[in-house]
Amino acid sequence: MSDMPPASSVKRWFVTTNHKDVGILYTATALFFLLFGGLLALLFRTQLWTSGQGILSANAYNQAVTAHGLMMVFWFLSPFAFGFANYVVPLQIGADDLAFPRLNAISYWLYLFSGILFAISFFQGGTFAGGWTMYAPLNIPAYTPSVGGSTAILALALFIVSVTVSSVNFLTTMHRMRAKGLTLWNLPLFTWSILLTVWMMLFAFAALLAALIILSADRLVGTQYFAYRIMESGAITMTNEAASLLWTHLFWFFGHPEVYIVFFPALGAMAEIFQTFTGRRIVGRKWFIIAMVLVAVQSFMVWMHHMFLTAINLQIKTLFMATTIGISLPFDLMVFALIYTCLKGDIRFKTPFLFAFGGLILFILGGVTGVFLGAVVLDYEFRGTYWVVAHFHYVMVGGVTGLVGALYYWFPKMTGKMYNEYLGKVHFGLYFVGFNLLYFPMFIAWETPRRVFEYPANLEVFHQLATIGGVLLGVSFLVMFYNLYRSLSVGEDATDQVWQYASSAEWAVSSPPPLENFTEGIPSYGEGTLEFLDEDPTVTAQGATDGGTPAVSGDGHGDAPALESGHDRHPSHASIWPFYLGLGMFLGFLGLSGLQDGSFAPGMEGGVYMAILAAGFAVTGWSLLRMGLEDFYVPEPSSFGEQWPFAGVENTKLGMWVFLASDVVLFGAFIGSYIFIRIANGWQDWHHLIPEAHVALPGLINTYLLLTSSFTVVLALVASERGSKWGTIGSLVTTFVLGIGFLINKGIEWLHLFHIESEQFAHGWGLSTNVASSTFYLTTGLHGLHVIAGLIVTLYLIWRAWNGAYTDDNSPIEYFGLYWHFVDIVWLFLFPLFYIL
Amino acid sequence: MTLGTFITAIGSLLSIGGLVTSEGATIQTPAEVFDQVFTFFLVLGTAVFIVVTVYMVYNAYKYRHGSEHAKKAPDEDRPSLGEIPTGGGGGKKLALSFTLSAIIVVSLIIWTYGLLLHVETGAAQTDAADKVVIDVEGYQFGWDFTYQNGHTATNTLRVPRGTVVELMVTSRDVFHTIGSPPLRFKADAIPGQYTDTWFVADQTGEYTAQCYELCGAGHSFMEATIVVMEPEAYDEWYANTSATNETSDSGNQSSTDSSQAIGATPEVAL
Repeated sequence: MSDMPPASSVKRWFVTTNHKDVGILYTATALFFLLFGGLLALLFRTQLWTSGQGILSANAYNQAVTAHGLMMVFWFLSPFAFGFANYVVPLQIGADDLAFPRLNAISYWLYLFSGILFAISFFQGGTFAGGWTMYAPLNIPAYTPSVGGSTAILALALFIVSVTVSSVNFLTTMHRMRAKGLTLWNLPLFTWSILLTVWMMLFAFAALLAALIILSADRLVGTQYFAYRIMESGAITMTNEAASLLWTHLFWFFGHPEVYIVFFPALGAMAEIFQTFTGRRIVGRKWFIIAMVLVAVQSFMVWMHHMFLTAINLQIKTLFMATTIGISLPFDLMVFALIYTCLKGDIRFKTPFLFAFGGLILFILGGVTGVFLGAVVLDYEFRGTYWVVAHFHYVMVGGVTGLVGALYYWFPKMTGKMYNEYLGKVHFGLYFVGFNLLYFPMFIAWETPRRVFEYPANLEVFHQLATIGGVLLGVSFLVMFYNLYRSLSVGEDATDQVWQYASSAEWAVSSPPPLENFTEGIPSYGEGTLEFLDEDPTVTAQGATDGGTPAVSGDGHGDAPALESGHDRHPSHASIWPFYLGLGMFLGFLGLSGLQDGSFAPGMEGGVYMAILAAGFAVTGWSLLRMGLEDFYVPEPSSFGEQWPFAGVENTKLGMWVFLASDVVLFGAFIGSYIFIRIANGWQDWHHLIPEAHVALPGLINTYLLLTSSFTVVLALVASERGSKWGTIGSLVTTFVLGIGFLINKGIEWLHLFHIESEQFAHGWGLSTNVASSTFYLTTGLHGLHVIAGLIVTLYLIWRAWNGAYTDDNSPIEYFGLYWHFVDIVWLFLFPLFYIL
Repeated sequence: MTLGTFITAIGSLLSIGGLVTSEGATIQTPAEVFDQVFTFFLVLGTAVFIVVTVYMVYNAYKYRHGSEHAKKAPDEDRPSLGEIPTGGGGGKKLALSFTLSAIIVVSLIIWTYGLLLHVETGAAQTDAADKVVIDVEGYQFGWDFTYQNGHTATNTLRVPRGTVVELMVTSRDVFHTIGSPPLRFKADAIPGQYTDTWFVADQTGEYTAQCYELCGAGHSFMEATIVVMEPEAYDEWYANTSATNETSDSGNQSSTDSSQAIGATPEVAL
């Protein structure tokens, strides 16, 4: 059992896995990135004071606008929202923590380290300078050669790992760990908004990860997905005609859901704040929920409205115009619902409400201007102008306004201290004026092209107003930081409920809540209101989750009747391994950034990167191993609560399924990219890009090997259920051997293709040869990496089986089996696509 | 009825103004379409925003804590700690507002859709004799304009006033976007793809076109000049050109293959 240092010690913050601590870490770190991104903005807004050259060179200017966008969208907005999600959601649903506390800590450390990696990219020859949208082929080394550009992309990829781990955690928690009586319909609106956010995140970020893996491969090992080269003679060779459009599809398929991902938590917080401070329940609450669900689903069907001026045909444009207008309708409903909630209210204009109310006004203005953009005839002119910039800042920073309200709303709960109300109002005043002074002139000066510092002279006054507004907005945040910091020491003590009319469960416990949230008893809404029961009416023998060594049986909440071994199992709250895992992955990704064209630079520079990469591997591997062996106990939720639709699926199994769902989207994006490129190239003409030596036989052999290995995993499961230790070991070893056979076979095939010398392919058919080779090696290579990961886990399972582990509880083998079957099924798609068709 | 004829029929039904005929009757240019629609949206959008905001602020003030109205509702109507979340009534008002806004928004889009069809097909509908077709190739950091006779000019585009000018746009390297606010045209310049747009200039003079997609360090300076000339002056100038390359003060020699550029049909791709 790990013990928990007190909150005042530094060590506590490195080892904690408690959701409240992690929430505070996220919030504080996100605010730091707000400052960083804001300073970048002030830099280029200074440049924009007058048209023409200024304090930044052209390249530095491009880096500033790019980093501002990336930092704000990824490293500030969502993490800020997830600070609250982490803190509040388990309390609102009546859970003691998230389903996988160590994974929660891992999410945080990966987030922090990915941000540090991004910051380092500035020092590696300049960070990425192609806009946060990273359009192709500007994003390939031929046009943006800096090492820092690659590092920024790797940092974003690392961030996505953090997000995916988080999604798995939240989805499992919200579906499986709700209190009795909290059916999905009955969930508070903030929790609903987070639920939908993480569903969207799971699928959208997988698509972006695919795009970033492909881009990283282009930048680091020389694949040709986005390549469009101009030769020395000036003649143009297009290695991939579809390069530009492929990127825009991949990016915007992610990009559009992303804007709702960043907005939804704000919407949910605003709904809570409106209810609390108007003293009225949300009008049309059921429709509000339905509207949110509709938006979440539809968000995946509107992405081409970012591409109205590309070469897509009229029918497609019409379809996406229709879906875009379609998605604005649920927002109309939600806006009206919030407005009508004010009627017959008892409204207190406290700081949280000022921000939520003001945020709604700003969002409405942003939304109206969005309808302009949805009318394609208008979009034709608005494309690439400040109209777009002003629109999305009104809606996105409108969301931030709501989240600032949330910060004031939950600050007393999180710290036990009240903030200073007068200073809060001062903040709001400066903020609202600064915001509108910054962004409204952009509508007037809308004809300015995006990302330029040279613009028509008659628009100068508007840009100057905007710069002043930006400074004012920044200053308003200083007021907030001062207020909150001071309140920590001299603020009034906060009560439990803090706000009159606050109704959700987090307000029924102390401020701040105790470590394990509900010490008065087990929360239940079963009798119509929240009450705390003395004991779980359905005490059953439940196993432990979170991947530690198998636990002794116990009930849902730790205070159990007499157990087999006779001691009380307390849930664990601390582990140092998430931190080390984050560090290891940071080093690994940093080391990777040193790759150029498939190898490290010669001499000292390359040597340093190689060493860092090696260190990263070592630290990551060691941390994973220690985490696997750690005695970290998390009780399985009792079936007393609400678990629809996943009752009967233990937490870890659900987590594995959710993870595999995102992996499906990842491979889907890779396969989709391949098909897209191949159609653009001419499906049958593709064969001209592939040597005769590339035959189906190696693929066929690999198919048999994998299928058999899936069968042996099933045998291992059966053997362990029968309690046969040697049967289990034997089957697992066979699986391992078959997997190795797969890899060796693949290795032989690849080496052979690398070294062919035909008329057409005088230097072999390698990663950089053409787009057909790139898609082949990268897609099957990604699959191969999944096989390698699986084999490493198999070795671990064999070792544990040797020590007698899986004779009673064989669930790890079952979860591994799910993963392995998935890897198998993916191959069944890849084989025909890359070997037969 | 072919798809093209069908689209034309819808376009003329729904759009304000007619299509060009070979006698040179007035055509509603994309610039006019934009100005009409933009003005209408602006007026309507501002009105909606003002009405909604005033309503919000008024009611927030009316029901402020301590006012007569705020005290009216009984305590059971107010949320209490630990209750299961439920809705707050008032659904009828919500349904009405929502339906109204939906009707407005959808009508707006149907109206603009008709105009979209006109804009999309306007150039294709114009006879070849009545229009000027230019191939545009963007590159880091300038624009090459190739005329129908093969003549290529860099960073300067000369066009006749009052004539449909159709631009077939692509890029030699990265993603650019060419556009000119006074002339109201814009097109993405995508390597490996062709996009097209058209405009009609009403007045002679010199206009600027800029790049609207971040394309590298020179993005801010990537400008072209569009010189709108009287038709007779244009014809005279055009007759004196030949399939050679002409550069402007930016001094960039272009080297496009002119036979590849003329009359390239737009590729449609997803």
